[in-house]
Amino acid sequence: MKTNIIEAENLTKTYKKTVKAVDNISFSVEEGELFGFIGPNGAGKTTTIKMLTTLASITEGKASVAGYDVGKNPGAIRKNIGIVPQELTADDELKGIENLILSAKLHHVQNDAARKKAKELLELLELEGAAQRQVKTYSGGMRRRLQLAMGLIHDPKILFLDEPTLGLDIQTRQNMWTYIRDLNREKGITVFMTTHYLEEADSLCDRIAIIDGGVIKLSGSPSELKAKLGGTILTLQLTDGADVSNMLSGIQDVTEVKKEDETYKIKLTRTETALPAIVENITKKGLKISDITLAKPTLDQVFLQITGNTMRDGSANGDSFGQRVLIERLK
Amino acid sequence: MFSDTFALTARSLKKWIRNPAAIMPGLFMAVFWLALFGSSFNPVNLVPTQIGGTALSPILVEQIKAAIGSVFGGAANYITFLTAGIIAFIVIINMAYGGIDIVLDRQLGYLNSLLSAPISRASIFFSGAFQNFVKAMFIALLTFLFALLIPNGLQLGSGFGVLNFLGVFTAFALVTFGFGCLFTSVAFSVKNVDSLVAIINFLAFPLVFMSSAMFPLGTFPSWLKGIAEVNPITKATETARLLIVNGNLSSGQLSTFVGNMLYLTVFAVVLAAIGYLIARRALKAE
Repeated sequence: MKTNIIEAENLTKTYKKTVKAVDNISFSVEEGELFGFIGPNGAGKTTTIKMLTTLASITEGKASVAGYDVGKNPGAIRKNIGIVPQELTADDELKGIENLILSAKLHHVQNDAARKKAKELLELLELEGAAQRQVKTYSGGMRRRLQLAMGLIHDPKILFLDEPTLGLDIQTRQNMWTYIRDLNREKGITVFMTTHYLEEADSLCDRIAIIDGGVIKLSGSPSELKAKLGGTILTLQLTDGADVSNMLSGIQDVTEVKKEDETYKIKLTRTETALPAIVENITKKGLKISDITLAKPTLDQVFLQITGNTMRDGSANGDSFGQRVLIERLK
Repeated sequence: MFSDTFALTARSLKKWIRNPAAIMPGLFMAVFWLALFGSSFNPVNLVPTQIGGTALSPILVEQIKAAIGSVFGGAANYITFLTAGIIAFIVIINMAYGGIDIVLDRQLGYLNSLLSAPISRASIFFSGAFQNFVKAMFIALLTFLFALLIPNGLQLGSGFGVLNFLGVFTAFALVTFGFGCLFTSVAFSVKNVDSLVAIINFLAFPLVFMSSAMFPLGTFPSWLKGIAEVNPITKATETARLLIVNGNLSSGQLSTFVGNMLYLTVFAVVLAAIGYLIARRALKAE
């Protein structure tokens, strides 16, 4: 049986007794798992990471990381975790390799071992060519990769990634996913990551928790969560205004029909049988389809259903950015 | 702890060596104060040779000049008096403004990466103080050398040797380190550069002006003199002046020197401890 390497019980963080950044959350991460916290900006993701990585104190509840209590034994936890923060903290004036060696020194890695590990990581993350250059000459993607290497130089048991692909283009982001996946699968490192890119969580994570307004709304594997949505969504637009909702509802494997103007949103459990039946019935009635799209369930839709908002709209409770600014001020 | 402090201090100094222009503002400030402010004023020139058309006796004029000279600690000219004060001024200002790098490290998230590493909070604090200390002392050294180059500038007393030089810079090192620890702890405690600048301006300038850095204590009103006399900046400047002006010290001067050095050592140790306690509080988990 796998053991839980991170456990959080009723974790709450309140800044200056007024602002609840994280509100009574509980979750656990198994050893070797790739676990994702997803939610909009200001949802409480970074605050949770800060508590787990000993940077923020816990107001209520308790947490253990790598078998140590966060409140009581922060020193032991710091030895066992690697962190890739949202901000890029590599030093611009120093070379890539110098940043790595400094990170190694601060984690008390012996010099020879540090050099060896640095070489290995630079190779893995395809940074060998840039190692001797100052970081200020790096591109955004290279900086993120160097930051990842800095978080790994001391062979941590758990890697915390806070928005690891923030601000990267799609190509670079997908490369980053490959690195993260390989680290998790091949090196066996437990990964706790936050992201507000739903497709990132979907592609990478074994299990995710959706957090909004400091509260975990839902957790499970991406496929479990998508299954809860109840299947594929067919969007259909007709040229004629006649209401065929009842007819559509009667078709087998159709679970729900919603009509907005000329557009129908139809939930299907089995696309292969329901779709031909729908098209056939509409044609029989002599109606014409002007537009048709079929969407597999996405985490975006899960998120929409849970919070009533799309990720782009921001948090369900309205002003998550304001929440974040407030927290920064209160610190 | 020492190896962590060393690694962090080395990181900052490496950045500084790659970008040595960073010390230019500090150095220019010292140069302007000394070369321009220092050269434009010489107290003995205030002594008139005649009043209302009546020539004063040359003996009297010399006596007045000697009396003024003794107020200035026997310095050959104002620059000789001022050099020690300007060095004290410049190290204090450099330690104070050096805190800006520390605030930026916090804002850029670098500080968090240190706080989440398994290193002692003391090494984070002391590396912050050391990095600025090394820069400040380097500027102090350049300022001293520059003062010697100014025409009619710094004039060393006869017998000024290596020991005098070491004594001068040990006195400065102690006062720099003491106040440096205080300013560093302030830098770790604030969240933005504006607050830091407001606090250090409130601290640094009064500290310098309430000392004998610019003018001799003999000219101070009594209320100010009382404060200035116990000000460690006064102790450091007076110690440096004693060594610069006199070269070989008499036994009386030697005991003043030893007393001042003890005073400064205690000051440096106490402020390092206070600074550390303040910083440790500021570096606690948020």
